Amino acid sequence: MVNLVHLHLLLNHVPTVGTIVAFGFLLLAFAKKSDDLLRGSFALFFAIALVSLATYMTGHAAEAVMKDRPGVSAELIAVHQSAAFLALVFMEATGVAAWFGLWQARKPGGRSKWASPAVLLLSVITIALMANAANIGGEIIHPEILAPGTHPSVTSGALAPYALRGAAVRYYQFHHPNAWPTLEALHFIGLSLLFGVVLVGNLRILGFMRNAPFIDIHRLLPWGVLGFVINSVTGMLFFVGQAFQYVDNIAFHFKVLFMLLAGANVLYLTLFDDVWALGTGDNAPATAKLLAASQIFLWLGVIYFGRMLPYIGGAF
Amino acid sequence: MESFFEWLQALSVSNWIATDESIWSFPTILFFHSVGMGLTAGVMFMICLRLVGVGRPLPVSSMRMLFKIFWAGFALNAVTGSLLFAAHATITGNQPIYYTKLTLIAIGVALAVPLQKFVKSDGSDGNVPSAVRGLAVAALAVWVGVITTGRFIAYLQ
Repeated sequence: MVNLVHLHLLLNHVPTVGTIVAFGFLLLAFAKKSDDLLRGSFALFFAIALVSLATYMTGHAAEAVMKDRPGVSAELIAVHQSAAFLALVFMEATGVAAWFGLWQARKPGGRSKWASPAVLLLSVITIALMANAANIGGEIIHPEILAPGTHPSVTSGALAPYALRGAAVRYYQFHHPNAWPTLEALHFIGLSLLFGVVLVGNLRILGFMRNAPFIDIHRLLPWGVLGFVINSVTGMLFFVGQAFQYVDNIAFHFKVLFMLLAGANVLYLTLFDDVWALGTGDNAPATAKLLAASQIFLWLGVIYFGRMLPYIGGAF
Repeated sequence: MESFFEWLQALSVSNWIATDESIWSFPTILFFHSVGMGLTAGVMFMICLRLVGVGRPLPVSSMRMLFKIFWAGFALNAVTGSLLFAAHATITGNQPIYYTKLTLIAIGVALAVPLQKFVKSDGSDGNVPSAVRGLAVAALAVWVGVITTGRFIAYLQ
């Protein structure tokens, strides 16, 4: 039976190995001055940033299973978690910058402008932080990687600032009565922004709003990404503060799964030339319509399982 | 008013929503209320962002059909919102923030009417008059307020 610890051990290679591969493509794209390679590396960074959210969250599930085992240091797990969170923040920033690169390249006659240097800089930092987090993580169950006679490096490496750690976030959530409702309000504003853009973009593909060419939707897309960023930040603050409510919550597992699938769908529609070629009055191909319908369905699924967190999964 | 809230809450449908422990009562109504919010506020955000000037090349006239979604979402939430209210009428009915939310919804709907009139007019693909832009900014703020007050109702018992 595969459990979330297995999943963490599988997924933890994605942000570490994946960012290095994507970084290689990025350098190659610069060397060859290839826009296609550049877009390929952006797409890879975006996908890795999505999966990294799940990597981080399965880490909390692994912690719940592992922390009381003999020979496993709970302190070391906490240090690994803190290092991983810092790496995650930069990974997500890299993913957002990469999406902007793909978006800028979609402008009529446009090229990625600030996105390339931003992705380059952020990905270098991310690789260093991921290596640090992975190294500490490895020491949790692979003491053989240490030199003989040395102990795990509990205090070494770059860690998340105290304000971003679970204990600090939890303290804030409980000591400021308006903190949780404010995060919830922001989460629902982000939801509406994201859902509005999802509706407008996909309704055009489905054949509504036909007097607009698809490229005209272009300027609205960053507002959807803004909604996604608001919800990732507020969502991670819920999660970091109250991880125990989510890690074994089946509704939460489905919510994350639907979110990853919807994110993959966003990536595909950003890369899918058939959609961007739709002019005034044009009808989209059937595959595009199927994807557009699936995207609306997937986001409805995210809302459904989000709303069901307390009722199916017993959170709160 | 209090006796009305008590009568409302004592209805068998209200009682079912408040006490049934399956996911098909309160949780499902809450889900549809969230979807209605996504439709109403989401679509209104897009219309207003465009009218304010963001996403300029998009023809305003292409957004006409979005008002159908706006009103459908509004109808869905009027129904689901009334059901959610009925289930806890004596509690929610005594919260000032609930009446703030209702007031904001009324303003949001009142703003939607002239915005719809402009978007559906023949000249909507020309320049957006500054009065319409002002209404759009107000509508953005009002719907953000509706969502925020709505979320706080769940926590201020």
